[in-house]
Order: sequence, then C-alpha cells, then structure tokens
Amino acid sequence: MEYEDKAGRPSKPPSPKQNVRKNLDFEPLSTTALILEDRPANLPAKPAEEAQKHRQQYEEMVVQAKKRELKEAQRRKKQLEERCRVEESIGNAVLTWNNEILPNWETMWCSRKVRDLWWQGIPPSVRGKVWSLAIGNELNITHELFDICLARAKERWRSFSTGGSEVENEDAGFSAADREASLELIKLDISRTFPNLCIFQQGGPYHDMLHSILGAYTCYRPDVGYVQGMSFIAAVLILNLDTADAFIAFSNLLNKPCQMAFFRVDHGLMLTYFAAFEVFFEENLPKLFAHFKKNNLTPDIYLIDWIFTLYSKSLPLDLACRIWDVFCRDGEEFLFRTALGILKLFEDILTKMDFIHMAQFLTRLPEDLPAEELFASIATIQMQSRNKKWAQ
Amino acid sequence: MAQAHRTPQPRAVPSQPRAFKLVLLGSGSVGKSSLALRYVKNDFKNILPTVGCAFFTKVVDVGTASLKLEIWDTAGQEKYHSVCHLYFRGANAALLVYDITSKDSFLKAQQWLKDLEKELHPEEVLVMLVGNKTDLSEEREVTFQEGKEFAESQKLLFMETSAKLNYQVSEVFSAVAQELLQRDDREDQAPQEDAAVALNEGPARQAKCCAH
Repeated sequence: MEYEDKAGRPSKPPSPKQNVRKNLDFEPLSTTALILEDRPANLPAKPAEEAQKHRQQYEEMVVQAKKRELKEAQRRKKQLEERCRVEESIGNAVLTWNNEILPNWETMWCSRKVRDLWWQGIPPSVRGKVWSLAIGNELNITHELFDICLARAKERWRSFSTGGSEVENEDAGFSAADREASLELIKLDISRTFPNLCIFQQGGPYHDMLHSILGAYTCYRPDVGYVQGMSFIAAVLILNLDTADAFIAFSNLLNKPCQMAFFRVDHGLMLTYFAAFEVFFEENLPKLFAHFKKNNLTPDIYLIDWIFTLYSKSLPLDLACRIWDVFCRDGEEFLFRTALGILKLFEDILTKMDFIHMAQFLTRLPEDLPAEELFASIATIQMQSRNKKWAQ
Repeated sequence: MAQAHRTPQPRAVPSQPRAFKLVLLGSGSVGKSSLALRYVKNDFKNILPTVGCAFFTKVVDVGTASLKLEIWDTAGQEKYHSVCHLYFRGANAALLVYDITSKDSFLKAQQWLKDLEKELHPEEVLVMLVGNKTDLSEEREVTFQEGKEFAESQKLLFMETSAKLNYQVSEVFSAVAQELLQRDDREDQAPQEDAAVALNEGPARQAKCCAH
C-alpha cells in the first residue's frame, strides 16, 4: 500500500541518497562530499560505456569543485591581505597623525601631504582631536562655562519636572512655554537619535552626555535653542570626544555661518544657499539639473535634511564621519560638494525617476552606499564655476 | 480647483492611477511619520525625527477605481514652520495630526489649520483632523468629543487612531482617498470655467500624473 502511494507520486524524490547527489551535481560544496557509487546490487549493473561516462563526469565535477575551492581560498586570502593592508595603513596613519601632524598642527595642517591624508579619512582614534583642532574655539568656551551652562540646564529640568513656576527670568523674550516645549522635545529626540546603536537611549551609556550637551546649549544660546537635527550632530561628536570638548566643538560648529542660517531657520538665507548650490549643480551636472527642474524638484527637498544633520542621518555613520573629516578641513563648501557628489553617483538612476520617487530616494539613500565610490564622485565635482568660487 | 490641469488623465487607463498629494502636519512627536509608516509599510518602530520632509507613496483602491497617494511627511518642530510652508503648495489633502495626550498639540493643530488656510483655499484642499495615540487613552487630555466638535465646526473630516496598535490607520487614508476621488469626479463634471481660477493659484509643486 505504502509502496503504491509512493509510486503514485513521481515528483517525490525516490531516495534521499539520490537526492543528495542531485544537489551535489548542482552545486558541489566540497570535493569530499562527492562519492562515485555503483548501482545497488539488486539493480542491473551499468553498461561499461555508461559507467565510463559517469566516471568522467565525476572527475570533471571534482576538478570543478577543486577549482572553485581554490578560487574561494584565493579570494579569502586577498580579502585578508586587503584587511591587513587597510589596518596597517590606518596604523601608519595614526602614527603620522600623532607623531608628526598633531604636535605641529599650526604649520602642518594645510600642507599638501596632510590634506591628502585627511581626504583618505582620519583614523577613529585621532578623529576627535583633529575635529576639535579644525573646528577651533572661536567662541572661547571653557570647561567651566560648560559646567555653568549645564548646572543651569539641570536647574531647569528640576523646576520643569516638579512643575515649579519660573524663578529666573533672565532670558526675557523666550517664553517659559517655549522652553518647556524645547526640554520636552530634547527628551523625546534623544531616544530617537541613532536608535539602532542603542547607546543614546534612556539607560544607555551616552544618554546623559547627549542630554547634557543639548540642555547646556539651550542655556548657552537661548536665542537659537534646540532645533531638531541637533541631536544627531551632538551624538556624532560624543562618539569621538569627551563631553565638555564635544560641547565646545558643538557650539563652535553651530556658530558657523551656514549652520547658524539653517538652525535659526532663516528662510531667506537658506534660499540664498540653495540658489548658490544650484549654480554649481547646473555647472557640474547639467542633464540632471534639467531633469530636476522639469520635475520641480527643488534643493530644499533633500538639502534641508543633509545640511541640518551634516549627513549623519542620511549616510551610514562611518561614511558620515568621513564626510565630517573633510567638512572640518574645507568648511561648508564641502557639504554642498558632497551633495553634488551624491547626485552624480546616482545620476543614471535619478534621471529615470519622477518627482516623488526622486524625493523618496534622496531622503532615504541606500544603506550600503560605497564610501570609495562616493569619494571618487565627490572628487570630480568642481566648486569653481566660471570665475565664481563657493563663497557666500 | 488647482488640480484642474490634472484632470486630462484618461480614466480608462488603470495602470496609471491619478496622483494626489497629501501632507502630514502637526507638532513634533505626535506620530505623523508613524502613521505614514504604519499605513505604507504596516510597520511601527522608533522613528528618527523628521528633518525637512520625508516621502511615501501608496496606491489605494477605492471600489473599482484606484489612486496614488504621494505622502509628504513634514517636520513637526515649530521652528521648522517656515520651511513647512514650502510643502503646502499644491497639496490635495492634509492630515492635521495631534496627540490625544497633549492639549498643546491639539491647539497647534488648530494653528496649522489657520496657516494652511492662508495658503490654500478650503475647497482645494481636503483636511482631516486626526487624534493619534489612542493606545495611551489613560493619559488622554483631549476628549473624542472635543476633537469631533472642532472638526465639525471647521468642516473637517475627523478620526482617532493608534499607529502603534494599527487602529483606524488605513481607515483614515481610505476615507481621504475616497473623498478625493469623489471631489475629483465632481470637478470633472463641472463646467471648465473653474480653470481660470486654477491658473492663478500656480502651485509650485503640484502632484502630477499627466506629466509623464
């Protein structure tokens, strides 16, 4: 009965062993799994010719499998060598940065050699130091000032959470309600800053640091206050610097003209930046520029997110850090150059899309965006249009 | 009205559904992006704060007809207000989202409505008031009645939702889609004299479907 049942369904593999063989034939994973067998004794033997053919096929398969394994081994070896090479070059770069460049920062930072090394990405272990030096401290913020701002922020949090009325009114003009909304929003946003990393969330190791920097900043610059997007900038700095130094870098970074224009949401100035960007866009990528124009895709659609968060939200974090590296070296111009580099990299895809798909694509860039290709693309972007340079 | 130049789309082509632009407005953290994500991808997760604008698309079937919703999900923080004005233009529909656990967000939604009406004629944009986060009803600060009464006084559609529990989310978008289609069909039958008005509106970023 059972036998008949089986025979009635020819699609079912007749025996597990043959099934294994079939799979092997399809994709031999290892030569050791290949076994050439004669037919079971209860079946008539293969004709010599067929046996010969099978032997030949078997040998071919073994050769193929060996070849594949060899190739795989070579690939792995190459990968390993590549990794060693990268590690070695990072190691060398760390030595160069620590022993040669950092001690002689003032004289060396703008030299050709340093600029080239800089472009290749600053090693993570010295990144924070280099960023701090490059961003500078025009505002002369001291660790003490940070402590004062932080203490004031903490006082506010306390009075806010106990529902106490406003005791101090030194920042007249910024209503208590506004400030409360700001404090509340900071709390909400901290938990939404790089949630995948699980380090800034409540209970995470960097939660308090992020909270401190954003809170201290709203006390330091009540005229700017907290603006969404800031939490990402502060978070990237925290990943590379101590709290007080991150605060100093944060405040100075936001004090740059481009960042001030955006974080104050100065619409007029933002439009000026977008207009300047479009000049270089048309110059560098005329075809894509025309396509964007035709579809009414204006730069604000994608630049607002990119500029506000300095790419930390839209690019993979390690790649964003490399953009920050060169941004620290070249200033705001590089932010717009990066934008053009991204547009150029995806020019072919974008020209085939309509408005909404382009908008979707640009506000959610591919997660596996390759660093080297992006940097190669950025390198080809000229920020000198006719006789105009990028200067606001 | 401003959609007059959208109407030449032949109805007989099912592969090219009519496109409508829908903007999500409301204060920070009321769940605008969560509603969009739940509706488009049936997903709920910790969403990064929106900076500028995020975009979604979804094709909706309404009876035998279908339409494409182009969802513009705007940044909620008040400071971004001036930027968000860029995104109103050419909108066919707007969802004014507030958080039922925050009175303030309800008042802000009313403010958004005023802003919206400054830029768009009430007839050219379909507005729905959405009270989100019904999963947190024990912390409720805005009653269902309050929301409903305000919506009725302003002739808005109204619904309460929970993006977290997937409560009435697709209903919101379906209701908007249905109403949009009805309005669009009515417009088609109306005499073309409306077109003159439409030309003056000059929407900068009209949701288009005839431009392909």
